[in-house]
Amino acid sequence: MGPTPLALLLVLPLVGTLVLTLLPAGFSSARIRSVAALPAALQVLLALICWQHPPADLQLSWLPTLGLSLDLGLDGLSLPLVLLCGLLTSLAILSAPADQNRPRLFFSLMLLTNLGVMGAFLARNALLFLLAFELVLIPLTLLIATWGGERRAGAAIRYLLYSAVSGLCMLAAVLAFAWFNAAGPGFDFADLASAELTPEAQRWILALLLLAFGLKLPVVPLHGWQPFTYGQASTPVVILLAGVVSKLGAYGLLRFGVGFLPEAWTAWSPWIAAAGAISAVYGALNAIAQTDIRRLMAFSSLGHMGLLVLALAAATPLSLQGAIAQMLAHGLIVALLFACVGLIERKTGTTSIPELSGLMNPLRGLPFTMGMLLLALMAAAGIPGLAGFPAELVVFEGSWTAFPVATLISLIASGFTAVYAIRLFNRVGFGRLDNTHADWAHTLWSERAPAMVLTVLVIAAGLWPTALTGWSEAETAGLAVRAQPFLLGASGPTIARSSTTLVAVTLPSAPELLPS
Amino acid sequence: MANIIETAKGAGCFGTLLTAVEVAGLTGALEGPGPFTVFAPVDDAFAALPPGTVQTLVDNPPQLGRILKFHVLSGAYSREVLVTQPEWESLEGAPVAIRRADPFEVKNATVVSADIVCDNGIVHVIDRVILPG
Amino acid sequence: MTPPTAAVTETVRQPLIPPSTHPYADVIHRLEAGGSMLPDTPENLMQIIGIYKAYAVPMDFYWRDLLYIAERVFLNPLPAFKYFISQDYLDLPNSYAGEQSKLRIWRGGEKAHPELLEFMAKGETGKLPKLLHHLWHDRINMEFAEACMQAMLWHQNMGGRFNDYLASDAYRANADRAIKAYFRGNPLMLGLYRLFPEMFMEQVKQMSYYANLGLFWEVMAPVFFEMSDIYDEGGFKGVPDAMDFLVNGIFAVAGRPIYHHVYINGECIEIIPKSEGFTWLYEAALPYVEAVFYRTAPFRGTKSYNAQAYQVPAEQADFHYGILYADVFPVGSAGIPPTLLMQDMLHFLPPYLVDLYKNHKRGEADQLIQLGITFQRSMYNVTSAVIQALRGALLYPLDDTDPEHLLANRRFFEAQMDRFLRPEARLPQVQTQDYR
Repeated sequence: MGPTPLALLLVLPLVGTLVLTLLPAGFSSARIRSVAALPAALQVLLALICWQHPPADLQLSWLPTLGLSLDLGLDGLSLPLVLLCGLLTSLAILSAPADQNRPRLFFSLMLLTNLGVMGAFLARNALLFLLAFELVLIPLTLLIATWGGERRAGAAIRYLLYSAVSGLCMLAAVLAFAWFNAAGPGFDFADLASAELTPEAQRWILALLLLAFGLKLPVVPLHGWQPFTYGQASTPVVILLAGVVSKLGAYGLLRFGVGFLPEAWTAWSPWIAAAGAISAVYGALNAIAQTDIRRLMAFSSLGHMGLLVLALAAATPLSLQGAIAQMLAHGLIVALLFACVGLIERKTGTTSIPELSGLMNPLRGLPFTMGMLLLALMAAAGIPGLAGFPAELVVFEGSWTAFPVATLISLIASGFTAVYAIRLFNRVGFGRLDNTHADWAHTLWSERAPAMVLTVLVIAAGLWPTALTGWSEAETAGLAVRAQPFLLGASGPTIARSSTTLVAVTLPSAPELLPS
Repeated sequence: MANIIETAKGAGCFGTLLTAVEVAGLTGALEGPGPFTVFAPVDDAFAALPPGTVQTLVDNPPQLGRILKFHVLSGAYSREVLVTQPEWESLEGAPVAIRRADPFEVKNATVVSADIVCDNGIVHVIDRVILPG
Repeated sequence: MTPPTAAVTETVRQPLIPPSTHPYADVIHRLEAGGSMLPDTPENLMQIIGIYKAYAVPMDFYWRDLLYIAERVFLNPLPAFKYFISQDYLDLPNSYAGEQSKLRIWRGGEKAHPELLEFMAKGETGKLPKLLHHLWHDRINMEFAEACMQAMLWHQNMGGRFNDYLASDAYRANADRAIKAYFRGNPLMLGLYRLFPEMFMEQVKQMSYYANLGLFWEVMAPVFFEMSDIYDEGGFKGVPDAMDFLVNGIFAVAGRPIYHHVYINGECIEIIPKSEGFTWLYEAALPYVEAVFYRTAPFRGTKSYNAQAYQVPAEQADFHYGILYADVFPVGSAGIPPTLLMQDMLHFLPPYLVDLYKNHKRGEADQLIQLGITFQRSMYNVTSAVIQALRGALLYPLDDTDPEHLLANRRFFEAQMDRFLRPEARLPQVQTQDYR
């Protein structure tokens, strides 16, 4: 198939934004919401078509003097993330309240965020990636600043500052790639992959990349913005932020760090693994101490990002598969968690744990929402049969040989997940429903729908783990900087490969994804 | 002098009480040697009870007997003796409280005529049926 | 000198005793004026009468089956069919309804209520074999009646002589006779009786409480039916009228005998004979109110109680889990006995209550809770009737002119209201219509 679908993936949100602004004034907020969800839903459809019929790369010269070209491609790394991005964008839009305030602007900004993330996932050119990476910042800051909790302005400023630093680091890293390349400047991924960099330059660039993407994920100690922002931003925005935008950081680390700077990555990976393990423990322990559901989930998300970073640091074929699986699983689970929390907040007016109790009450509580929340918490805690389990299993299995101590610590941290999950559910779900305040309507099917879709996917991914791991076996095997020792019988970490070749688009064909 | 039953018959305002005593099969006992202290509610006292109350009791002699026994103490006590003690055990088993000496009040009833001495005891006429509890 | 006429009239108008300073002073003044704990509003009247009707229909089954179990099933070691009441007991004439009754409270017939029979035949699911209705719980939830019986059995000493009698030699001799007669020709059970006599004795005591509660509810069902009929005719002017009807009813049947007879092979064994003189008011009604309205036991359900942290009182008398204190919101959760009652009442709601619930809160989705709160209101009214009846029996008329007497009444009302000072009490909530 030709490259048109790739361009379409980017055109869709743009057209959507345009249509939203042109809709006649009489359109109700709920109908605007449906219109806004459509482009993202079409993205999912398009990505599925691309999976069955891999499109050719798209190469359009844009600003040749700068080395900027519209160079798009879809490989096994980007395809699952593109799918996730489209899916979560549409569901995030649908999980907005039917009476969303200033709907046109809100949904337009959501679609612009989608455009940026999508562009970054599809980019085959570092400058284009940078552009898309920076583009995400603007609509998100506006989204946080305009719709959200009482302290949203502070949250927006904090997010803006952290993201600006992240963007600057990325800019510096991309420029450094070009400047220090002995083979001559070039921004195409192919150029970057074959760049001839001194070990010194590699280290500096990797440092910048770690900052840029570590802030995006985030990972301890770069997480300062995250709990506050997740706590203040409105639910659809958080779904987008935690489910999709944070994956941009993981994708960047994988693509640029592991992919283009394997030696430096190997050299620094113990520290990266340590940061991952610390994030996992720090996130889980903080989550246990939170009194607000949103903040609890923010820290929970931080912990899961730690596992992701651990897997990336290990960079064995299995752990990289685990990283991709964890990105997808975490995206689904965190979106489901926040969709449920959004429903709870919309009905009860609060997310404060001490103020809530007895929501499992079958007649006056929110039993359906709480059921989905329970499932999401179980998935986050890695209960087998749900999406979190295969992802975490592969992460731990893949990282164990490279970093046994960090893996063990992360394993224990993931055990704490169950602690805060049970604590949260026990406080909020059980106990006595407050008679004086429990006076809200039950959730409507239309309100439940996004969370229900996510619930189905979380279960499906748990029962059929290939849906998480099967996308990118070829790519991750190619990217791995360490062999799988227990598979090959080698002892100790060895550098499996010194140069990366990441040009060809090789997609897993459909039969490979079927459970065998 | 007459016994308690004869005295009551002579007074003419204890028709309901006498019928009740008859139905409950207590006439013989009250004609016996005793001695007893009887708090005797007048007809108006029974009439003041909600409709059906007396009928149900009359239909069930053991239950009626229990209520009537609450109006009887074993031993003959005059007003002066009664007011010295806050409670007296009735034949029913539950205590009968003496609430006030002046006016002389037995539980929530007021004694309209005290110290009618008979052969086998003393009768105090009260204006309300008293109930245990 | 002109007499100060105006001043004199004023002193006459002044109440004989100063106003109450109790936290529930408003309620106490209302009780002193002959009112109920439930405010007199047309909606309250509609709610309580409607729910009395919905309560009376399952109650008509409860009392019949309770007596059936106490008198016929008795000590059956495997009473799998104890809720499959015999036709004789469905036709058992109610002593307070129908032509044959000596004191006719309800104008209707003496046999099981037609709405009850209709429901028993079809249920919610339609015409199916009895056993399927039973297993699917599409039936009258007799378990609720048993939970009430167990509350009375468990709390025991709440006034009256009933419980003392269960420990007497006379009772034990009667029970022994009944046990031996029931298990005649059954060496296994007789051998077990020889080994564990107290266990059998305890079972018979429980049967006596079945009979006690059955005889209590035999009266309440026609009372509630009649109240519903009077309301439908436009007969009650307000909540106090409804309460007064209950007060009069309590007095009228106060002397009804409470007994326990067992029928074994056509022979009637009187375990508690009528001649013991036990009365409806002292041995059934007052213990019932105490055990079921006030005390009962903590619900098993989504709320856990920590006895070590004194979340459950050490004294049984301090138990406060009855309907007057109950949190009705968990109704619908598993393992909570009132849910069974609410479910039973749901089938017999008069149309005006169904319409009322549709317009509030979650409409049809949370009818169980709405009718549960209505039930709570109605039981505050029944409790008011009990309080007023006790006041009438033991104290003084409300229009008494002796200040000492009025103060005694005041102290009595205040003592009753003290029981609602604990935070779980719903008395403050039922004062407004917002509590639904």
